[in-house]
Amino acid sequence: MGGGLSDRQLAFLLILPAAVLLVAFALYPFVVAALDSLFKINLLTRDRTFLGVDNYLRVVSTPAIQAAFVRTVIWTIANVTIQVGVGVVIALLLNARLRGQTLIRGLVLFPYMVPAVVIALVFRFLFNDLTGLVNVLLQEFGVITKPISFLSSPATVLWTLIVVNSWKYVPFMVIVVLARLQTVPGELYDAASMDGAGRFAAFRHVTLPWILPVLIVATLLRTIWTAYDFDIPYLLAFGGPLSASTTLPIQIRTLAFGQQQIGLASALAVCVAILLVVAASLYLRAYRTSENRMG
Amino acid sequence: MEIDRERSEAAPASRLARPRRRARTGPFRFGQYGLLLLVLAVADLPLVWIVLTAFKSDQEIVAFPPTIIPKELTLENFENLFLISPFASYLTNSLIVAVATTALTVLLGMFAAYSLTRFRFRFLRGVGELSLFAYMVPPILVLVPIAQILTGLRLSNNLLALIVLYTATLLPFALWVLRSYFHGITVELEQAAMVDGCTRFGAFIRVVVPQAVPGLISTGVFTFNAAWSEYLFASTLMTSPTSLTLSPGLALLMDQTGVYSWGVLMAGSVIVVVPVVALFVIAQKQLIGGLGEGAVKG
Repeated sequence: MGGGLSDRQLAFLLILPAAVLLVAFALYPFVVAALDSLFKINLLTRDRTFLGVDNYLRVVSTPAIQAAFVRTVIWTIANVTIQVGVGVVIALLLNARLRGQTLIRGLVLFPYMVPAVVIALVFRFLFNDLTGLVNVLLQEFGVITKPISFLSSPATVLWTLIVVNSWKYVPFMVIVVLARLQTVPGELYDAASMDGAGRFAAFRHVTLPWILPVLIVATLLRTIWTAYDFDIPYLLAFGGPLSASTTLPIQIRTLAFGQQQIGLASALAVCVAILLVVAASLYLRAYRTSENRMG
Repeated sequence: MEIDRERSEAAPASRLARPRRRARTGPFRFGQYGLLLLVLAVADLPLVWIVLTAFKSDQEIVAFPPTIIPKELTLENFENLFLISPFASYLTNSLIVAVATTALTVLLGMFAAYSLTRFRFRFLRGVGELSLFAYMVPPILVLVPIAQILTGLRLSNNLLALIVLYTATLLPFALWVLRSYFHGITVELEQAAMVDGCTRFGAFIRVVVPQAVPGLISTGVFTFNAAWSEYLFASTLMTSPTSLTLSPGLALLMDQTGVYSWGVLMAGSVIVVVPVVALFVIAQKQLIGGLGEGAVKG
């Protein structure tokens, strides 16, 4: 195989299947969504009525979508802040040459591996109003006098989801930051300690600048992925109660498959995609800068 | 070549080997271990709770206050799981989909990554950028059109369509990781093999692929886990009970059991988690390296 092929032909043949799949399942769906967003589509008869930008005007003016947007902003900022902060602290802790490193690292990474549906099930159980272990323990230790309805009250549901989601994704930050921490040249610390720098100063002037490029890229990636995260919020609360946990991804699916408004759902997806492009170009720029700095 | 490799491995090692002046005992160290204990508890106790609950009887699960360690171990939750739901069918479907997706993704990813790292043609640049873009496209954005397209082709409820779809969505990640592996393998080895009479493709299969095995393993494990636990596409596209996979199947069970039979749901969770954990333990070293590279390095 490949006997009489030129390099050009071989390169083309090897890349072809992947290229076809990427075009068919990433590029083409975007074009379809962009077109659909200009129509009102009847799912049963497949009739299409041209609406122009009407769907986009409705995206901007529909209160439910506006509320979902605000929720998505809160959801994303809170998630990423927690994940970066806690992730860096744990990475520093694991880099501090404690005993049993390999086992500990595996145990810390564990939540990242657990499928979303299992996370949803166990945290629904743990945060249950009546039999949930969290409420039982909090009452046992006298922190609260009556159970908190973590997932069934509009006031607490979004924050509960943020905690659960961070539980899953903090390990991702830990591993990424840890990989970078392990390449810090020892000389830098020696120099810092000769200058009389304490632990905090060494972190501020040696560690932080060293991990910053990786931190920026990882933060941007997490921001993009968190904003569009569907599984954990949906499976834990199905967007409720009273839409209190309906973020934009859940809103898109509800519009398309619950309310059969394909056109409006597509318009919303396109708007979200535009935000994605902005975020992605930021990401690419940060990536190039950090690559240059890493040398 | 040999010298080259030795040098590149030795350089960072000597930097790392320099001992850092840190206290080995004292209150700071004590605090670190305390914090570590807290981290491990928060990270892993929910999973311990799944396992403990799966082996408790229903009466014990709803008892107040709850018992931590089961008073008596029982398998009734696992028996009920297979009795009240087509869980065996979910399991088979997920296994087929995950294995096939992994094989396809690793194979196609390997071909494409080799092409992208070894050749410089214009169309390759385009594909490289497309994969970078596709890596960041969240599934929710293409869900609606993909559902329309597959329904139009009468391919919903078709496991093969799901396999192809998963392969397409996981390829960008595979390319991301495998490209960095192929970059690290010197071209001279292939050239030597070609001088000895191998074709370029033969040199790729016989010389490059064996060296990329750690990368292929970590790609494979991540692909398997992703396909094994995928929910969004499967729950939207697979509507008939016979074609459901584990994640939507288990979610459906959560809906149906209404007041929640926690024991049955936790038993299902154990079965979903076990292969993931097993693979992770087997390939832990490659995975952590691969994740660090795949996430932020090209």
